[in-house]
Amino acid sequence: MKYKDYYAILGVDRNASADDIKKAYRKLARKYHPDVSKEPNAEEKFKEMSEAYETLKDPEKRAAYDQLGRYTPGQDFQPPPDWGQQFAGARTAFDDIDFADLFAGLAGRHGAAARGGRAFTSGRDYEATVHLTFDQAFHGTEIELDLSVLEFDDKGNARRVPRRIKVRIPKGVTNGQQLRIPGKGGKGVDGGRDGDLYLDIVVEPHPLYRVSGQDLYLDLPLAPWEAVLGTTVRLPTPAGAVSLKVPPGTRAGQQLRLAGRGLSRPDAAAGNLYAIVQIVVPSVVDERERALYRQLAEISNFNPRAHFEGETVHEH
Amino acid sequence: MNIETCEALRVDDRGEIGWAQLIELSGLTEAELTELVDDGALVPVDPAAPSWTFAAYSVVVARTAGRLHRDFDLDAHGLAVVLRFVARIEELERQLRKLRAGAAGG
Repeated sequence: MKYKDYYAILGVDRNASADDIKKAYRKLARKYHPDVSKEPNAEEKFKEMSEAYETLKDPEKRAAYDQLGRYTPGQDFQPPPDWGQQFAGARTAFDDIDFADLFAGLAGRHGAAARGGRAFTSGRDYEATVHLTFDQAFHGTEIELDLSVLEFDDKGNARRVPRRIKVRIPKGVTNGQQLRIPGKGGKGVDGGRDGDLYLDIVVEPHPLYRVSGQDLYLDLPLAPWEAVLGTTVRLPTPAGAVSLKVPPGTRAGQQLRLAGRGLSRPDAAAGNLYAIVQIVVPSVVDERERALYRQLAEISNFNPRAHFEGETVHEH
Repeated sequence: MNIETCEALRVDDRGEIGWAQLIELSGLTEAELTELVDDGALVPVDPAAPSWTFAAYSVVVARTAGRLHRDFDLDAHGLAVVLRFVARIEELERQLRKLRAGAAGG
């Protein structure tokens, strides 16, 4: 197990008062709390500082932490034998737990005694981040998750238990959405309900489709003559290519809607797919094309800036 | 090895959930949640009904409230204010995503 310097994480002295620790935590929490922060790595930093604060704010846990001694952060270490005697029910081996788990059992064990031994405690909720491709999110998928679940024995000692589960992800999930798997968090104690597992969904951006709610947007580049004359194009959609009729006189920025071609979910109507028209011009034209454009410029009465006329023009 | 298969449920399902389940999932006490309802941060489907039900999305709001309460020691009134700001930020972010997604080349 790797040592963590909880005081350094919170940026306080080892002799800091409980009040100083609380102030330092609150200052950092305002900066890194995932609900309010857009700092890079905010979630990771917040987890680290929460873990530190969870231990240092509790006098009993803080004493247990201080008794471990001082090591370099990240250094491999084992708690001294007398530490287990004093804080971990005479436990001597700590290979199956993480550093933070050393202190997780303390409050539970002593708290149960304080409440007359009736520790009706719900299991802890866990969170895991799941990365999906766009296609997995669109169609739904099944993934395997390897978890390391914290459990307590009869004496209240913590241990990490590996657990592998298969999870069906429903179709139509979007970036930032949360999914819940009931009962797959930490085990409840003495009749308390088992915690839940929450999955934070991260969907990789797709090179073509942009997502807004259940709707999808993609750019549809058209040549000027296609926009003027109208055309039929083969348009990719996540469920397969379709033919899209572009009406004559289509303008740049216009959104052509394909109903029901967006993300679908079982409890609501499917979203739409919007093709956003972009009119693109060739960067290189040959002599013949240039001649035709010149001819068009000469015969056309079209004035794209007609609405400028009548405005007062100030020459600079 | 036989691996258990589990269904992942949408937290923001379009259905409704009951008061007891909201308490269970939020990590807050009944009294704290009641204050959030009184302050308008959580709105029952029918406030006059004998037993309250909520839009399923309320779970997300209640869990956020639970986290903010735990991590910042906020009381229910402070939570209600922060939740209103969080809701406004989420709505603005939703509008921004829509504008960006709908802008050509976005």
